[in-house]
Amino acid sequence: MIEPVTTIPGSLEASFIRLGDADASFVRVLAHVPKYAEAVWGAMAESLFEGGVDVSLKEMMRIQLAVLANDPYFSNLRSRVAIEAGLSEERISAALGDFGNDPQFSDGEKWALSYAYLMYREPERVDTAFYDEGKKYWSEAQIVEMGGLLAVHYGMAVLMSTLAPANG
Amino acid sequence: MQFNPETIDASFYDQLREHYSESEIVELGVFIGFNVGYHTFFRTLDFYPMFTPDGRLVSQSESRAIYGDEPVSHLSDHIQASISETQS
Repeated sequence: MIEPVTTIPGSLEASFIRLGDADASFVRVLAHVPKYAEAVWGAMAESLFEGGVDVSLKEMMRIQLAVLANDPYFSNLRSRVAIEAGLSEERISAALGDFGNDPQFSDGEKWALSYAYLMYREPERVDTAFYDEGKKYWSEAQIVEMGGLLAVHYGMAVLMSTLAPANG
Repeated sequence: MQFNPETIDASFYDQLREHYSESEIVELGVFIGFNVGYHTFFRTLDFYPMFTPDGRLVSQSESRAIYGDEPVSHLSDHIQASISETQS
């Protein structure tokens, strides 16, 4: 496995704590290539914390993908920002279950959770009709924001599933 | 990484270290991770190059007709021409 480095830039460590990871293990692994650590974490943070889609919804989508990637590190991580925004463990569990029939989720949220569920399981189902359905609830900018979130976080969850010492 | 990530275990990384530094391995992993994530997403968006191989701006429907549904390198002709020029 790749051992995390012991020293990372303070600014990077502080920003990573927003994700709820006090020891910043992921960034410490990536910090073997410091510029990558900053760029990758910047993309992950931007896609999760910024934009026009609720951070709690994006956090549930992120966790869905980490579970799919069989990555215990990101599966168990909880965004401090999302928790402070009111996201509960019960709601996260519901998002990992039969969310399509769960009345606590709006139609727009169900579409977004389906987007995350299908993207790397059955991407052929994410077709024009699926996007047309999504446009009933979300702007194109919001859909692209969610797609970018899925791409960055799934790719890094797959990587972390192979890299993290805790996963070995 | 994309199809069998569970096979990338400690022994796999030990083997990689025979050829690459830890920094290079992280670099490769990030590159692959981004590509695994983004190419699936891009594929669902069903978009095509805005320009033809000779640089003409075209609509998405015309571009689809030119490039088709299978991934091909529209640079291959140019690469082959470059190789031919080098060899001549």
